[in-house]
Amino acid sequence: MQVQELVGIVPWTFIAQICNLFIQVYLIKRFLFKPINEMLEKRRAMADAEIQDAVKAKDEANAIKTEYEQNMLEARNKANEILVTAQKTAALQSEVMLKEASTQAAALKAKAENDIAQEKRKAVNEIKDEIGGMAMEIAGKVIEREICEEDHKKLIDEFISNVGEAS
Amino acid sequence: MELDISGAKVLFTVPIDLPILGELQISETIVVSWIVMLLITGLCIWLTHDLKVENISKRQAVAELLVEKANHFVIGNMGEKFRYLIPFVSALFVTSVVSNLISLIGLRSPTADLSTEAAWAVVVFIMITSQKIKTSGVGGYLKGFTTPIAVMTPFNILSELATPVSMACRHFGNILSGVVINALLYSALAVASSALLGLIPGIVGDVLSQIPVLDVGIPAILSVYFDWFSGVMQAFIFCMLTVMYIANAAEEG
Repeated sequence: MQVQELVGIVPWTFIAQICNLFIQVYLIKRFLFKPINEMLEKRRAMADAEIQDAVKAKDEANAIKTEYEQNMLEARNKANEILVTAQKTAALQSEVMLKEASTQAAALKAKAENDIAQEKRKAVNEIKDEIGGMAMEIAGKVIEREICEEDHKKLIDEFISNVGEAS
Repeated sequence: MELDISGAKVLFTVPIDLPILGELQISETIVVSWIVMLLITGLCIWLTHDLKVENISKRQAVAELLVEKANHFVIGNMGEKFRYLIPFVSALFVTSVVSNLISLIGLRSPTADLSTEAAWAVVVFIMITSQKIKTSGVGGYLKGFTTPIAVMTPFNILSELATPVSMACRHFGNILSGVVINALLYSALAVASSALLGLIPGIVGDVLSQIPVLDVGIPAILSVYFDWFSGVMQAFIFCMLTVMYIANAAEEG
């Protein structure tokens, strides 16, 4: 079998080995680096996505917390407001009621006084009439003659009123 | 006993006869190179099939480790801008290692042929030169030969040409020395065992002395250095030099 030199450069082998080297570069790039790098990239992207998710979740939680705190504050304010309003309303109402009651009481008192005065007047008038009649009768009996009621009405009245004032 | 250490066998000749290149001879070197390439590519495909993002297998962990190491080696020595050289340096390294170690299974290493190393060294030399021209321009590159004084120009050209020659010869010499020493050792041990067993008298000694008993096992000890250590070391040195020369060429400008 033909044998090449032990130390020497064979042109065809030389060219073939250059080609082989570049083919090997392509093959190793295609079958080792490309899939592994793609996978590493995918893993990195996944880790990034997870971190972003966590950040988003944290932001959301913070937003919810802020909202909750705001709501709580609002609720507290509203409660205070309601309390104040209720107190004011109660005060106002009690005042109104008191005023009404006093007005009513005053009205009642006035009416009662009125009534009393009226009754008194009525009673006075009645007594006046009766006394007038009685006086007439008495006078008639005394002077034994008929007194014309109409003629002496004025006189009698004057007398009675003098009596009333004296009594 | 005659010992014959020869170059690569020519397995068959293709009848193409070009003026300078000569006849196209498909030698052992080329065929074993193809076997090496098939092995490497098969290994890559086996390592990277069924890749997962999470919960990775041991096989995938090894593949990732290899890629990480290659990235680290190239980027650590050359910087981020030479990322595109990672597959080239990796291919150079792995082809060299597998070529050196394939002699363990009885095939002739493609790296025991100077043509192989010369091819690689020339490719690396072209890369170094193009990187130099890229960093300092054609004028700057040519001017670089006249430093520090114009008289130095021939020596500078010689030192420039010495780069690929030394790279190729260093690698080739180490591998060839392993081949030669192994061949010497095998034949020496064969002679020794035949002499030893020849001491047995009668026909038994005649038959046994034909069997090189000492060739079993003992060469493996030397093989640890000449094949394993030297093979991996030379591949590493070749890649390291490639990386260093190209990185230096990029810094000169």
